[in-house]
Amino acid sequence: MPSDQLLEVEDLTTTFGTDDGTLTAVDGVDFDVDTGETVCIVGESGSGKTVATESITRIIKTPPGEIEGTVRYKGRDLLAMPESELRDIRGNEIAHIFQNPQEAMNHCYTVGWQITEALQIHQDVSDEEARAKAVDLMDRVGIANASARFDDYPHEFSGGQKQRVMIAMALVGDPDLLIADEPTTALDVTVQAQILRLLDELQEEFDMGVLFVTHDLGVVAEIADRIVVMYAGKVMERGGVLDIFDHPAHPYTQQLLECLPEFGGTTVGGIPGTLPDPHDPPDGCRFAPRCEYAEGACRAGEQPEEIEVSPGQRVSCVHYRPGMDPSVVRNDNFEPVGGDGAADGEGGVSRADD
Amino acid sequence: MATESPEQFDQVDWNDLSRSGRFDLSINSIGMLVTALPLALLGVYDWRFVGDRTATFEFVGLDRTLETVDFLFIFTLLLAFWYLVLPLYQNPRRTRYYWKEFKRNRPAVVSLGWLGIVFVGGIVGPLVMNAPQQELLIAYQPPVFTSVVDTTPATCVGEVINGRCHGTWQHPLGTTNAGRDVFTMIVYGMTISMQIAFITTTIVATVGITFGTLSAYAGGWVDEIMMRFTDIILSFPTFLMFLLILYIYGAGLGMFIVVFSLFAWGGTARYVRSKSLSISEEEFIKSSRISGASTYQVIRGHVVPNVASSIITQLTLLIPGFLLYEAQLAFLGIGDSTVPSWGQLIAAGRSDLSFAPWIVLAPGIVLFLTILAFNFLGDALLDALNPEAEAENA
Repeated sequence: MPSDQLLEVEDLTTTFGTDDGTLTAVDGVDFDVDTGETVCIVGESGSGKTVATESITRIIKTPPGEIEGTVRYKGRDLLAMPESELRDIRGNEIAHIFQNPQEAMNHCYTVGWQITEALQIHQDVSDEEARAKAVDLMDRVGIANASARFDDYPHEFSGGQKQRVMIAMALVGDPDLLIADEPTTALDVTVQAQILRLLDELQEEFDMGVLFVTHDLGVVAEIADRIVVMYAGKVMERGGVLDIFDHPAHPYTQQLLECLPEFGGTTVGGIPGTLPDPHDPPDGCRFAPRCEYAEGACRAGEQPEEIEVSPGQRVSCVHYRPGMDPSVVRNDNFEPVGGDGAADGEGGVSRADD
Repeated sequence: MATESPEQFDQVDWNDLSRSGRFDLSINSIGMLVTALPLALLGVYDWRFVGDRTATFEFVGLDRTLETVDFLFIFTLLLAFWYLVLPLYQNPRRTRYYWKEFKRNRPAVVSLGWLGIVFVGGIVGPLVMNAPQQELLIAYQPPVFTSVVDTTPATCVGEVINGRCHGTWQHPLGTTNAGRDVFTMIVYGMTISMQIAFITTTIVATVGITFGTLSAYAGGWVDEIMMRFTDIILSFPTFLMFLLILYIYGAGLGMFIVVFSLFAWGGTARYVRSKSLSISEEEFIKSSRISGASTYQVIRGHVVPNVASSIITQLTLLIPGFLLYEAQLAFLGIGDSTVPSWGQLIAAGRSDLSFAPWIVLAPGIVLFLTILAFNFLGDALLDALNPEAEAENA
C-alpha cells in the first residue's frame, strides 16, 4: 500500500558534476517512511546516506548536484515542487537534525532565537508566543531552567545540551517527518543513550515518522523499526529490524554485524577493502569487490534486483536468485522463501516486525 | 539598514535585526526612521528652499549652516546610535563580554579613550566654541608653558620676561600666523576627522558588504562580472580621478569623502565574498535552509552577521588611511582649503616651522595619535570579536 505512506522515495538518484566527470552519490534508491515509524538508513561513511536524506528536501545545491526520481511526501512530489512551496514544507513539516550540533548553530545568536527561527519563518506568531513555545520545547527536551537559558548563546551549552537544543529546533514547527542525520555520532555513549531515548519519546508524543541515518548498528538496534542498508549509493538489503539482526541476508549486512562485538561479532578492524570509486562504480553488485562470496555473476550487469527472502525483508544479492544456492552466503541453516516472493514462512526465523 | 552601520558591526544586535525580514520593525529601526525622517526633510528644505548664502537654521534665528557633509555625518551618527550604541545597551550581557575581552588590551583602552575625546570634541566642540577668528595682532602666540623671542608675535598676550614671550592659557596651543587659536582649530579638525571616519566607513561597509554577498550568492557569470568590476575598482587610479574631479568641480570635503570611499570598497567586497562563500558552506546555513529560510533570510540573518565580525578590523584600519590621505592632499595644497582639517592646519604652518613649530606639531601629534589609536582599536576589536584569531596568536 504505497499511497498511504508519509514519505515515499522512488528511484532517487543524486549526481554531482565534478571535474573528474559525474559522481553518482545515490543511485536509484527506494524507501518509504510511515507515520509513527522509525526507518534507519545504515551504511559506512561515504555510502550516500546523507546525500539521500538531503535530496529529499532538495537541500543539495543544484548545480553541481542533480536530483532525479520521485520523492512523494503525503502524496506530493517534492522534487517537482517549486522552491517557494518547498520552503513551506522545510522546517514546518519535514525537519532535520544534524550530526554536529556545534556547527549547526550560528554562534551569533541565542539558542532561543535559533529555536524560534523556523517558527517565525512559517507562522505568524508574536515574539512572546514563539518564546513561550520555545521554552516549553526546551523544557521538554530536557534543558533545565529553560526560560533562563533561552537567552544563552550556543557556546554556553555542552555538546549533549546542544543536541537537545537542535532537537527542539527541529520540533518547533510540529513536523510530521523528522530526518535525523547521525544525531548521536558526536556525543559520548551515555549522552547518546539519553538522546536516543528522548527521540523515541518525542516520536510517540509528536506522532512523527523518523528517518534515521547512522553507521552505528548499536544505535539502530535501539530505535529502528525497519532498516535500509546502503552501500555505495545502492540499497543492499532492507527489512524489519529483527529480521536483519536475526538473519542478515546480504554479505555486506552480515559483515557490518560482524563488526559489532555486542552482537557476537568477531571481526576486528572492519571490513577489508574500501568503497568503490563513485565516478566509476563496478559492474554488477557494488559490494562484489569486497565480498568473499563473490562469483562471476556478481560482477556483471547491474546491481542485482531485490529478492524477498522473508516477509518484508528484501536483499539485492545474486545468491538469492532462483536457481542459486543461498546457503553460500548463509552462515546458518536458514532457508529463504521461494524466489518469486511467495512466502511460505519458515517458522521462528521470519518474524514480522510491525 | 543593517548593512550600513559603521565600525563595530558585530555588536549590532542581530537577534533583533534579522527577524524573518517581515514588516515587524524593531525598536531600533523605528527609532532610525523617526529620527532620519526630520533630517531628510531638513535636507530637502535646505536644498530646495534655502539660498546658498543663507544659514540652514535662519528660520529659527540661528546662524548655523549645514553642508551636505554635515547631513551625511548626522545620518551616519544616527545609524551608529540606533544600530550600535542602543543594541549594546539592550544586550548588556554581550556588551559586558566584549568589554571584558577588549579591556585586556591596555593600549586599546587608552586608544578608545583618546578616540572618545576626539569624537566628543568633534561633536560638541563646534557647538560651544566660536569658530577661530583671524586676529593678526595676536599671531604666533606660543603654547602655554613655552616661550619664544618676543619679536616673533606681533603683540604678546602673555608676560614678556627677559625678552621672551610666554604662552598663556588663553591660547593653550598657541596661535597661527593669522592669529587663530590652534586649540580651537584642532577641535574643529576633530569634526572633520570624525566626518571622514564615519561617512567613509558607512559607504565602504554598505557597498562592500552588499557587493560581496551578492557576488558570492549569485555565483556564475554574475559573480564573474561583479568581481571583474571589483578588480577595476581596485586598480583604478583614485588619485588621478580625484585630481580630474577637482579640476572640474572643485575639491570639497564631501567630494573627497565620496570619491575616495567609492573607490575603496574593492578590498572589502573581495574579502566579504570569500568569507561569505566559506560561511555558506557552514552547517548552520544548511540548518537554516532546512528550516525553510529563503535565500534573503539566510543572507541577512546568517551570512552578513558572521561576515561583519571579521571585517571590522579591516574597516577600522581603513579610517587612518583616509585621515592620512586627507592630510597629505591638504599638505600638497589640493585639499579643501575652506575646511579646518588638521591637514590644512599643518599645511598652513609649514612655512613657519623654523620659528613657530607648534602650528605644525600640535595638529601633527594629534593626527599621529588618532591614527595610532585606530590601529590599536582595530587590533583589539579583532581579538574581542573573534576569539579564534587570538587563540592563534597565543
